[in-house]
Parts: sequence; C-alpha cells; structure tokens
Amino acid sequence: MYKKNEIIDGEVIVYADSKLYSKDSLFKCMYWYGGKFHTNISMYDKSTYRISIKPVNDIEYNSEKLKQLLFQLERDLIDFNLRDIVTKETQNLRDLLVAKAFSNGEFDENPPGEISDPIGFIP
Amino acid sequence: MTKKTRKFRDISNFNLQQNENEYYLLPFKFHRLNNDKEIIVNEVGDYLTLPNGTVEKIIKREINKIKDTDLYGDLISNFFISEEVISPLIDVLATRYRTKKLFLNYFTGLHIFVISLRCEHTCHYCQVSRVTQNKDLYDMSLLNIDKGIDIMFKSPNPHITMEFQGGEALLAFDNIKYAVEKAEKIAQEKGKILSKVICTNLALINEDILEYCKEHDILISTSLDGPKFIHDKNRNKPNASSYDLAINGINLSREKLGFENVSALMTTTKLSLDYPTEIVDEYFNLGFKGIFIRNISPYGFALRSDKSKYETEKFLDFYKKALHRVLDYNFKGHFFTEDLARIFLSKILTPFNVGFVDLQSPAGLINGVIVFNYDGSVYATDESRMLAEQKDYTFKLGTLDDDYDDLFFGEKSQEITEIWANEGLNGCSECAFQQYCGADPVHNYATQGNMYGHRPTSDFCQKNMEIIRYLLELMENNEDIKKIFQGWVKVRS
Ligand code: SF4
Repeated sequence: MYKKNEIIDGEVIVYADSKLYSKDSLFKCMYWYGGKFHTNISMYDKSTYRISIKPVNDIEYNSEKLKQLLFQLERDLIDFNLRDIVTKETQNLRDLLVAKAFSNGEFDENPPGEISDPIGFIP
Repeated sequence: MTKKTRKFRDISNFNLQQNENEYYLLPFKFHRLNNDKEIIVNEVGDYLTLPNGTVEKIIKREINKIKDTDLYGDLISNFFISEEVISPLIDVLATRYRTKKLFLNYFTGLHIFVISLRCEHTCHYCQVSRVTQNKDLYDMSLLNIDKGIDIMFKSPNPHITMEFQGGEALLAFDNIKYAVEKAEKIAQEKGKILSKVICTNLALINEDILEYCKEHDILISTSLDGPKFIHDKNRNKPNASSYDLAINGINLSREKLGFENVSALMTTTKLSLDYPTEIVDEYFNLGFKGIFIRNISPYGFALRSDKSKYETEKFLDFYKKALHRVLDYNFKGHFFTEDLARIFLSKILTPFNVGFVDLQSPAGLINGVIVFNYDGSVYATDESRMLAEQKDYTFKLGTLDDDYDDLFFGEKSQEITEIWANEGLNGCSECAFQQYCGADPVHNYATQGNMYGHRPTSDFCQKNMEIIRYLLELMENNEDIKKIFQGWVKVRS
C-alpha cells in the first residue's frame, strides 16, 4: 500500500515497496547511517518496508535539515537498490573473472573468451 | 559527458541484429561525484564520469545503441556492459585484474629491522623510543639480527628491502654494518636484489657513515615536518635544533650519496594543519621532487573519540590546500608531486597497482611488510609494534625463534587474513573506490577497537573516499590538472 514518506518527532521515515526494493539494499544503505543515526527497518504492512532514521545528536537537526535528510535518504535508498541489482546480476561473472585471473590457466577455456578487437587495434 | 579518448570502432561493429536495448551488465560500482556527475568504476579500476541519473538508465536498460551511440560505445569498450552473457573479452579483463593484483605474486618485500629503540630526541608524539644508554636492553642483538636475516631470505620475493628503523637507527650503526654485510653476502649467494634503507633523523650523520652508505648503496630516509618552527616544535631535541641538524644532514647526504638517494617524510601534527603552504614550500625550496602529505598518526591523536571526524575534516582541508600549492608549482612549469595523490592516481589512471602497503587489498601487512622488533618479536606492521609499546600485542605474529611458516601462515596471520580484503568488508564491498583504496586491519583496530572496522565512522575511509573523489572531480573539471596528474604517473623519478 502506498504511504507517503514523513518526518515525525525528529524521525525521518521512508516507506518502500518490497517488490521494488531488496532487503539487502535497505540494510546496506542503513549501514552508512549507523554512525550518526539510530536506524530501524521493519514491515509497515505485508508489502511495504518502513525505514527510519533519527539523529543521535538531534540538536543539530532543525526542520530544514531534516527535510534535506529525508531527500538524501530517499536518494540513497534508490542508489543502494541499483547497486544491489548490479551486484546480483553480475555475481557469477565476477566470480568467473576472479577465478580466471588467479587460476594459472585452469579456467582459461571454460567458458572461453574470444579475444576480438573491439578497441580497434587491427586496422 | 562520456570519455573523450574512447577508441572504438564505428556502429557497424555492434551486433545490430540484437534488440537496441538488449545488453548485459558487467560488474561495476558507482559513486556520486557531486550534484551533477556520477562515476562508474569497473573491476579493474577503469572509470567513466557521467551525468547524474545515467547509471539508473544503464541498469534499467534504457541506453539505446542507436540513439546513445557514443555512450553505448564507451560502456562496451570500457567493460561496463556486454552484448553477450559472457563478454568475449572476459580473458582480457581477467588478465587486467591479475595485473592489478600483481603485488600478490611476490609476497613480503619490505623487512623492517627495529635496530634500536634508543633515541636522542624526545618528540612529544612518539611513544616508542627510549632516551637511554642501555644498549643491551634496547638494541637488537646480533643473534636476533642473524635470525631476522635468515627469515628475510625465506621470502619468495626476488627483490628484498631491508629497512633499519629506530628509535634512532644510527645509534646502533655498528649493528647496521654487521646486518648489511651479512645480508649482502646471502643476497649474492641466493641471487636476490637487496635494497637497504636507513631511516634516521640525521642528527648523528657524519662523513664516515655516509662513506659506508655510499660503498654499500644504502639509501637515507629522513623526517622533515616542514619549516624550522614546525619541525623543531614537533621534534624536541634537548639543547639543539632538530631542524638544523636535519637540513645539514640532508645537504651532506646529498653531497655524498646523490640527490636521488636521500628522501624525506613528513608527519602531520595538529600544528602542521595551519601551515599547508609553508610545509609544501619547504620541500620545494629544498629541491625535493615531491612531498608526501601523510595522515595524522592515530597515536598522537584521540582517534577513538568523537574528535576523530573533526580531526579528519581538518586534515582533508589541510591536504587540499597543500595539494593546490603543489599544483601551483606545476602550473609554473616545475615537476613536483604530492605522493599520496600520486599513489591514488597510479591506480586510477594506469593498469597497474602501486606497492604501497597502507593502500592495498589484500592488505599490505605480512604480504608486503613485516617488522622485526629490537627484542626479537615479530609484528605485522610498524603500527603494530607501536601498539605493542602500549602493551597491546594483538598483531604480534611470534618471535624470531619461530619458523617461517608459523610466523607468516600461522593462526594469527590467518585471523588477520579473514578481514584483509576490502572486497569482502561491509561498506567497501559496494564502494566504487574499492580498487583505488585498500584495507588496513591494524589501523581499524588502533582507531576503532576491532580489525574489521566500521566504515561510516572510520577516519581511514573518510579520508580516502574524499581524496579519491576530489582527485576525480579535479580531473573532470580541469583538463590542465588532468594533464599534470597524467604526467605524475607517467614519469618514474
Ligand atoms: S575504506 Fe571507504 S573509501 Fe575505501 S573502499 Fe572502503 S568504503 Fe570505499
């Protein structure tokens, strides 16, 4: 269910659709807020995450700063979700790359790369 | 704006049978450079700067090979996307990855011998040295020197560096001579290249010592914190000016050994933070080809406290001012580098990594450096033995009586190796600057109380992330600076 993001009593709260945001990305994002904020992730309803942060030192945060914080959190949640998509989509390839890099030839043919010339060395 | 230097064939090279938006992602990470630009970096450190919002389009498959030809070409040729599930260039990428991690091939190169803990200085931030005449207690014994050399030559690295540190290393010069001659003989027998360095404050340097250094190709590395009023304040020498002694020593050493065989390192203290320009000028006026703006030592500052963030911000401000002063000299036509930037820039702009132990992943400790302490104990790094002076033996790997495998591959080493690659650390694992940065478990422990570290409150992370971001932003906004930076990493002085 759609719920508008909000600021209540100095706490910045964002609601995220669990079909769009991965749980991993929420935790990875909250990790970076853990230095200065109390952080929390819970389920608002069956399909909506409730993510909240509250400054540890709330004297530093007036309403203008809290609004900026909300904006930043919304943006960071999107960024971490995008990062998570790339990480998951490319995980096998990264493993293969590292295996090939350190295998002393063992994985060179499997699966094979073909050295073509996309950067245009061959005239 | 996409990369201008893209070398890519024309559109006919793409698979035009494929749907216009059908491509596969290759592993990459991204970071917002500022409000307008974001940067994407692949697994081998190649990067592209793009207008904000582009990454989202790439991931959502909104980049169209016909409409966005340039960007599409850049993304393909720089290994960010591929038209096939497994890029046909995977082997090229793997070779480049291996090149970036080449330092792993050689294992430990730098062997630090803490030849004496005695010192004639009483620097306020130094918690290590001892003002004492007691050689038996605070000098490395000949027996321990023998054992250290024995272990050193077990390293598979064909290029071994033996570095003598103190206290003040020259107080035990006879022992240095003994160690040098013994090591030279073995190096010749084993066909290894041996470099020798003495780290000294130069107060005790004289012609005889330098004659010996010249005969044995020993390099001199000294400390210079800036102009006299900073250096003397930082480095207290009873009844003398440490600065005057250092400058005389530098001049004499250069005369005897040649300019290039004498280097200097600065330590940043609270006092230094107000004088970035003066410090850079001092190095330039003394004829050095560069300066290494080093981080504030975690031992002189309360980095475990809340003050650390503030100190790091002040350091970053100091660093940027110093960097711009260095750039001013370059704009006037001089080749003069800032060496921390140079390390990052080598990783950003070249296919290679740099053998700098504080910025490697896997970390440089054990892998790149090992410390043999004056009393026969063996530590993972120089910071580790400083912790030990505060009675914290967390990074003591053993003693010179232990055998090689136990020291280098024993339980303690294994414990450290579990967290020594930033690729697997919280925060770092998704950081775009992972390939340019490193892991430092000892620093994490010293400043945060555990080896794993907490990136959001880490001064190591805060400092590296901002300096890397800043260097990239400078290059993006100013072509002249980019050319200067490219020159720094091209020329090997
Ligand atoms: S320490 Fe910080 S800057 Fe370095 S890789 Fe980790 S997260 Fe990135």
